[in-house]
Amino acid sequence: MKAIVSVREAVKNYTLGNVVVPALRGVTLDVVEGDFLAIAGPSGSGKTTLLNLIGCVDTPTSGSVEVAGKDTRQLSERELTDLRLHTIGFIFQSFNLVSVLTVFQNIELPLLLQRKLTGPERAQRVSALLERVGLREYGTHRPSELSGGQRQRVAIARALVTRPQLVLADEPTANLDSVTGAHILDLMRELNRTEKTTFIFSTHDQSVMAHANAVVRLADGKLVDRVTPAQAAAETGLPA
Amino acid sequence: MRAWLATLGVVAQMAFRNLFASRLKTIIVGGIIFFGGLLVVAGNSLLDSLVASMSRSVIGSVAGHIQVYNAKSKDTLEVMGRMMMGDPDLSQLDDFAKVRASLLQVENVKSVVPMGISGALVTSGNTIDLALEKLRNAVKARRDAKTDAQRAEAETRVASEKGHVRQIVSVLQGDLKNAKAVLDERTIDPADVAAVNRAASDAFWQDFDKEPFEALEFLENRIASQAADADLLFLNYIGTDFQAFQKSFDRMKIVEGTMVPAGKRGFLFAKHVYEEQLKLKAARRLDQIKEGTENEGETIATDPDLKRMVRENVSQVREILLQLDAAKTVDFRAKLQRELPSQETDVGKLLAAFFQTDDQNFRGRYDFFYKELAPSLELYRVRIGDVLTIKAFTRSGYVQSVNVPVYGTFEFQGLEKSTLAGALNLMDMVSFRELYGFMSGEKLAEIQALQKAAGAREVSRENAEAELFGSKAEETEQPPIARTEPGSAGRSPSRGGAGTLSGSPRRIEATTTPGVAPVMHDLGESLGGKLQREEARSRVFPSDEVERGVVLNAAVILKNPKKIKETIVAIEAQGKKDGLTLKAIDWQAAAGLIGQFVNVIRIVLYVAILIIFLIALVIINNALVMATLERVKEIGTLRAIGAQRRFILAMLVVESIVVGFIFGGLGAGLGVLLVSVVGKIGIPAKSDVWFFFFSGPRLYPFIGTSNIIAAFAIVLLVSAFSSFYPAWIAMRVTPRQAMQEEE
Repeated sequence: MKAIVSVREAVKNYTLGNVVVPALRGVTLDVVEGDFLAIAGPSGSGKTTLLNLIGCVDTPTSGSVEVAGKDTRQLSERELTDLRLHTIGFIFQSFNLVSVLTVFQNIELPLLLQRKLTGPERAQRVSALLERVGLREYGTHRPSELSGGQRQRVAIARALVTRPQLVLADEPTANLDSVTGAHILDLMRELNRTEKTTFIFSTHDQSVMAHANAVVRLADGKLVDRVTPAQAAAETGLPA
Repeated sequence: MRAWLATLGVVAQMAFRNLFASRLKTIIVGGIIFFGGLLVVAGNSLLDSLVASMSRSVIGSVAGHIQVYNAKSKDTLEVMGRMMMGDPDLSQLDDFAKVRASLLQVENVKSVVPMGISGALVTSGNTIDLALEKLRNAVKARRDAKTDAQRAEAETRVASEKGHVRQIVSVLQGDLKNAKAVLDERTIDPADVAAVNRAASDAFWQDFDKEPFEALEFLENRIASQAADADLLFLNYIGTDFQAFQKSFDRMKIVEGTMVPAGKRGFLFAKHVYEEQLKLKAARRLDQIKEGTENEGETIATDPDLKRMVRENVSQVREILLQLDAAKTVDFRAKLQRELPSQETDVGKLLAAFFQTDDQNFRGRYDFFYKELAPSLELYRVRIGDVLTIKAFTRSGYVQSVNVPVYGTFEFQGLEKSTLAGALNLMDMVSFRELYGFMSGEKLAEIQALQKAAGAREVSRENAEAELFGSKAEETEQPPIARTEPGSAGRSPSRGGAGTLSGSPRRIEATTTPGVAPVMHDLGESLGGKLQREEARSRVFPSDEVERGVVLNAAVILKNPKKIKETIVAIEAQGKKDGLTLKAIDWQAAAGLIGQFVNVIRIVLYVAILIIFLIALVIINNALVMATLERVKEIGTLRAIGAQRRFILAMLVVESIVVGFIFGGLGAGLGVLLVSVVGKIGIPAKSDVWFFFFSGPRLYPFIGTSNIIAAFAIVLLVSAFSSFYPAWIAMRVTPRQAMQEEE
């Protein structure tokens, strides 16, 4: 299977004043199409940094990150933005919906930025997705009128509306109770199966990892190993 | 394209929703912009209306749309708002006919009015001078009487005039007594006191008829000089062609008297000057009190100005007393005793009591004054029909005097109360030229005739010294006094001439400097003054002389007043073509300080607007920065899901512009409403200056479309400027910031 993401010896350093803080210390990782991958590790292990590099939100200090066959270090800021718009969908820990727009408009927003579809086409696609995430009745609601789980469903719909090859989710269930979180993961998994969309999500929650078909474990900015969820669950020595 | 529009739709929608979401920010920013829009529209409209009405005043009264003068002039032309200090140094335009022909070539020029503006100090007749002149005439009539009837008639007149002079002398005696009470004894010349006491004595009047001319001379030399009731007044005048003036400035209307006929010498007083400066002061004050109480809603009890006028009327009855001869004194005493009522016999005290008015009795006293007392008084120091002698320094520095009959008074419709519009009197062009020192054909002929009569001849410059101070000097130093009539030596106003009978037109002296007056007066008299005075009434100048002569400037009336700038260019170009050095300026420049006044207000308004918008800029900027910082996460999210920076920029700019448009529009709308409501009611003119600026009693402001456009432009500019910095902040938000959790 083709690798949609290919990370090679990626190093990312942040500078805080005069101090260089290494966030990633040389990570190599391949993600193939249709994967449902969890990136696990304690806080500060570099999960979010790795996701940022894969999501073209950031570029590595050294090493390389290829997404959909493109080396992100070679791309301009504008090209990176375009890559995000057309290839990647994002799901955020705290949903990050635009509070002043309705549910429908939030989902439609990436399509408007893409400027590919006509109004009716957009409406059709948004409606279908609303149906898919079980929020058919909520199109005209504002995010503030929804529960946390409902909001994250809207965010998932927004991430999927452009039919991206890759969806990144940063701790998608961290702000949800465990039952709702499980529902959200079920939904993501289902979409992964039916739409063949690749999902990469970060988590430090064992029960969340259980949904993945592979778990990549990070510690101190380094990739520890790549295991199955069962292995990960079995190794109790891992930090929670 | 459609998708692009849809994007814009989303941007707009997000902008609108954001505005609603952060109401406080929107209200603060919007409020400032609202106020700014209101100020721009209302302020500018008011100012434009003011300029428009003021331009009507300036254009309609003297300036015309454009003023033309000689480009070689050292100073710039100012037809209005001149200070008392001399005339601007203007070069003359030699031939008005030529100038006019050139100007009329310019397509937009409707008519041209010749002008020259200058001024002279004028001393009006002294009451005692006039009384003494009447007495002298009566004495002469008695001397020259052929029949008994004539002698008896003259005798009565002498007696009456003697009574008047004695009355004046007794007023003077009273003045001296008062002076002694308040002044240091040494400042009063004992000789003056002695002279007044002598003139007041019965012995003096018993001896009067023995040597009447000697007695008169004593009175003229020793007494008249002490009765200084003659005021100096400065008359500004425009020399012009009356007919062209009236036609071009159609707001001009004759109030009293008649228009000066074509080709004649003549003088028209501005009604305002006539009332303000030439009317009996007590009467003028009564008019002003009436105006204040009846038209301006003030009361004598509360208004300090009116109170002061009442006080002045009470204390300054002398002006009236001096006019009263024996018969009038008796008449006034009886009338005032009845009216007040009072047992007092002193007319001065009776008058003082009469003028002690309050809000209750004022109207009755006012009517009584005009009905019973005024007919016996000279209400104006110059009457319509009098011949005014104006003496002015010519440009070359010698004094020139001209006699001009006063035909009447005029005012400009709508500007009746304006001091500014009513400050300029009108004079015929021929007289003006003479006063200014230009030689008219008539004057040249007169000089030639005089030279012939005096045996004078042209002297070349090289030989002048020898000729003048050599052996033949006596001939040229012939004292002019030798020509005066017997018995009239001494004080100037005692000559006969036009005013020999009472009731016939008097002569009023007008000179530039009082000190020069007596000397120059006699010179003027000897140089054919009598001839001049007769000529002043009867002579008709050929229009050619009026037309072809020298003028200082010319007012140009346009067919299309909107094209002033273009026409100025065209006039100067046409002048060049015709070999004339013409300088054309618009009415605002011609109005001098008054024209500048509008610019000053405009600058003040613009500075105020600038300051308000600068403050607005800071506040709006601040509010937008705060709002942007609050939205960092949202912006980061938008960037993460694929929004380019320009999308973020567009979103913020649209927000600002929407606020600008809505609130600026509301402000401008309120401004329009305000101005149109005020435009219906009008802003009342508080004082005479405002009558001029408002071109009438009220200013009716109107809305100019340019002001609304300006308001929007400024509002948009400010909105755009104030969103620069917040937009810059927003554009630097990275998509990574969407991922950061506030913990």
